[in-house]
Amino acid sequence: MLSTGLVYAIIGAAAAVLFAGIGSAIGVGVVGQAAAGVVAEDPDKFGSTLLLQALPGTQGIYGMLTGFLIIWRIGLIGGSVVDLTLQQGLAVLFAAMPIAFGGLLSAIMQGRAAASGVYMIAKRPEEVGKAIVYAVMVETYAVLALLMSIITLFYIPL
Amino acid sequence: MGIARMNKIYLLAHQAEKDQILRVLQQAGVVEISDITEADEETAHWAELVEPDQAREDLQEIESEIAKVKFSLDYLNRYYPEKKGMLDELLAEKEVLTPEELAAQEAEWAQKSAEVYASLKKVDEELLTLRNAETRLQNATQQLLPWQNLTLPLEELRETKAVWVQLGTIPAAATEAFQVQMQQIDVPSFYELVSRERDDAYLVVGCHQDDVETVQEILKEFSFNRHNLNQFTGTIAGNLAECEQKAAELEKRRAEVLSVIEAQLEHRQTLQYFHDILSVRREQKLAVEKLVRTDTTFVLAGWLRAADVEALRQKLSAVSKTFALQVREPLPEENFPVVLENKKYFAPFEFVTKLYGMPHPYGIDPTPYFAPFFIIFFGLCLTDAGYGVVISLISALGLLKIKGESIRSLLKILLVGGISTAAAGWLIGSWFGVSLFGSPLLFDSMTNPMLFLAISFALGLLHIFWGMLIKFVSLWKAGDYFAALADVGFWFGLIVGLLLLALPQAAQAGKYIALLCAIGLVLTQGRHQPSLLKKFTSGLLSLYDITGYLSDLLSYSRLLALGLATGVISMAINTMGGLLKGHPIGFIIMVLFLIGGHIFNLLINALGSFIHSSRLQYIEFYNRFYEGGGRSFVPFRQKTRYLEIRSEK
Repeated sequence: MLSTGLVYAIIGAAAAVLFAGIGSAIGVGVVGQAAAGVVAEDPDKFGSTLLLQALPGTQGIYGMLTGFLIIWRIGLIGGSVVDLTLQQGLAVLFAAMPIAFGGLLSAIMQGRAAASGVYMIAKRPEEVGKAIVYAVMVETYAVLALLMSIITLFYIPL
Repeated sequence: MGIARMNKIYLLAHQAEKDQILRVLQQAGVVEISDITEADEETAHWAELVEPDQAREDLQEIESEIAKVKFSLDYLNRYYPEKKGMLDELLAEKEVLTPEELAAQEAEWAQKSAEVYASLKKVDEELLTLRNAETRLQNATQQLLPWQNLTLPLEELRETKAVWVQLGTIPAAATEAFQVQMQQIDVPSFYELVSRERDDAYLVVGCHQDDVETVQEILKEFSFNRHNLNQFTGTIAGNLAECEQKAAELEKRRAEVLSVIEAQLEHRQTLQYFHDILSVRREQKLAVEKLVRTDTTFVLAGWLRAADVEALRQKLSAVSKTFALQVREPLPEENFPVVLENKKYFAPFEFVTKLYGMPHPYGIDPTPYFAPFFIIFFGLCLTDAGYGVVISLISALGLLKIKGESIRSLLKILLVGGISTAAAGWLIGSWFGVSLFGSPLLFDSMTNPMLFLAISFALGLLHIFWGMLIKFVSLWKAGDYFAALADVGFWFGLIVGLLLLALPQAAQAGKYIALLCAIGLVLTQGRHQPSLLKKFTSGLLSLYDITGYLSDLLSYSRLLALGLATGVISMAINTMGGLLKGHPIGFIIMVLFLIGGHIFNLLINALGSFIHSSRLQYIEFYNRFYEGGGRSFVPFRQKTRYLEIRSEK
């Protein structure tokens, strides 16, 4: 029998993977479209455009690792299941929110920045560094969201 | 060290020696040629003596030659692509030739290239003819196929004086109705349904010439579509067989033609070399377009490192007795191209510097200053001893094999970064996400992330202070003591004071230091404003910049986030892999999963570590002192892919 608290915690794990994953899927897709157009003209740009395409993918990974951290802490894997109270379950659920939504939106916006970066290196291939820096500026907020989520998760008393 | 001292040169020499001199300059590869076809202040007083030099005809000739070689190479690549992976590309070594060897080879290469071009051009034309013939055959076959049930020779199905005969189609759906109609009319006529294909019924219809109108009326009603097979004679089957035979012949001919292409493959390398030579020569002619000339002389202007001047003078003396080389230092404020010069162990980090852009010619080369921090940050972002060892080993292997200059820089950074990663991972005891050697040396980042966070902030603070110190020293050296003290010193004091507030013993002192420095900032930061009121308000507003310092500092928390990310993903991979280990087949899958998973984690996090370590330099560190906007030095040199021309091997 699962406690309500445990159900909330699992919703949290699912939300982290789900939303951050959606964001990354959109972001990576947007860059991929732009990149395919550019590579059609110049196949040599595959490497640098792939680098840019990888950038919005990290949010999905951050979401996954937050989700993993949750199911690890509540003992679904590698231990015995902790019997969470309602409050504990809700706390875990909300701890997942920063990376869920921070990841969702930052991945989409980073995808757009990176897609513009792809157009930039279509014209100026030597400026790939700058295109990456622009995209990485967005990444900061995903990193901060992740940090908040995992630190909270580490310290919620279960 | 840092930004190289540059000199501007003006070179005057005879037109007759121009090609020779340009060749020497290109081989030396140390001069950036400036375009002086537009007169500037410096050249104005002799500008009317000269006119822009040009090499348009030579250039056109070379371009057309290049186009031919490129045609041949592309043609060979289309039918027999060079099977080269990225690794081969990296490992490729350029063939080295001396100018003498080159001179001996060149005529032969040119001739070979012309031969290959001629034969491939012929092949191209022949293939086009073949393709047209094939298309014609296909069309004929398509046209004949529906009629293949017709056994009569076609010439017997033509109109005569008395009989009208037509071949054609009507919509298949209307066949029944058509048959009924034809039986009802009272004129002698015949029709034969030859075949039905898709939506059409294929018919032969005939009647007496006198009754044509009646029959045509019906045909029109059923939207009869006339087919003309007049160009064929004999039976349909015979014609089809003939088409097939011709197609087979074409196919055979095609194979023969393709074998001609294959025979040219052995010359591919020659063509590649020749293409390189031509590109080098094109660069020479393009350089000519930047020169100015008189009837018998030319003038070349350019930049080069002061350290290269004498060597260049000697190289020029070897080929010319009559040249004048004028050398000068940059004028005050003159924008010269930037070359970074660093000690051997810092030089690879110029790769990171250049990724952002060149520093201002009169600014500071940040490379040696950020290099140690870059390495530490990279290690902390990855923090896994196993990954560190893997990265170091792979980079070391790459360094043994790969010759490309910028790839080597990257590999050197990764080699040291890998060692730093291994050290960081060792301290927190993580080997591929597992504590292999018992308890960690320092602390476990999973159980004590706050300590990791504190370390990140401490390093960040050090990084920021280091940047401020660089600014301070550079202002001090430039003699601007006041700015050094006001713009850097007060900020430093304010931050230190605020930090001291956190320590109970020093809180009192901290308060006074912070207050004093804040007042100092209010009084000095508006000093460039015209009016007293504006001086005060903008001084006061400058205190708001403290948020900049705060957000920069908080940004270093990414070290913890990325470090933990690597660790947690490794743990996830290991846990998921571990679920499979009971079963023998599961065990194999587990091993594959673990290898694949860790490679993925390593790649994605190494990329992240590199990018975020760079970012901490570009944004947080550069903010303190860096001035960008430099133009990078683009020397006139040989740009080749397969060949290198050097005087000595």
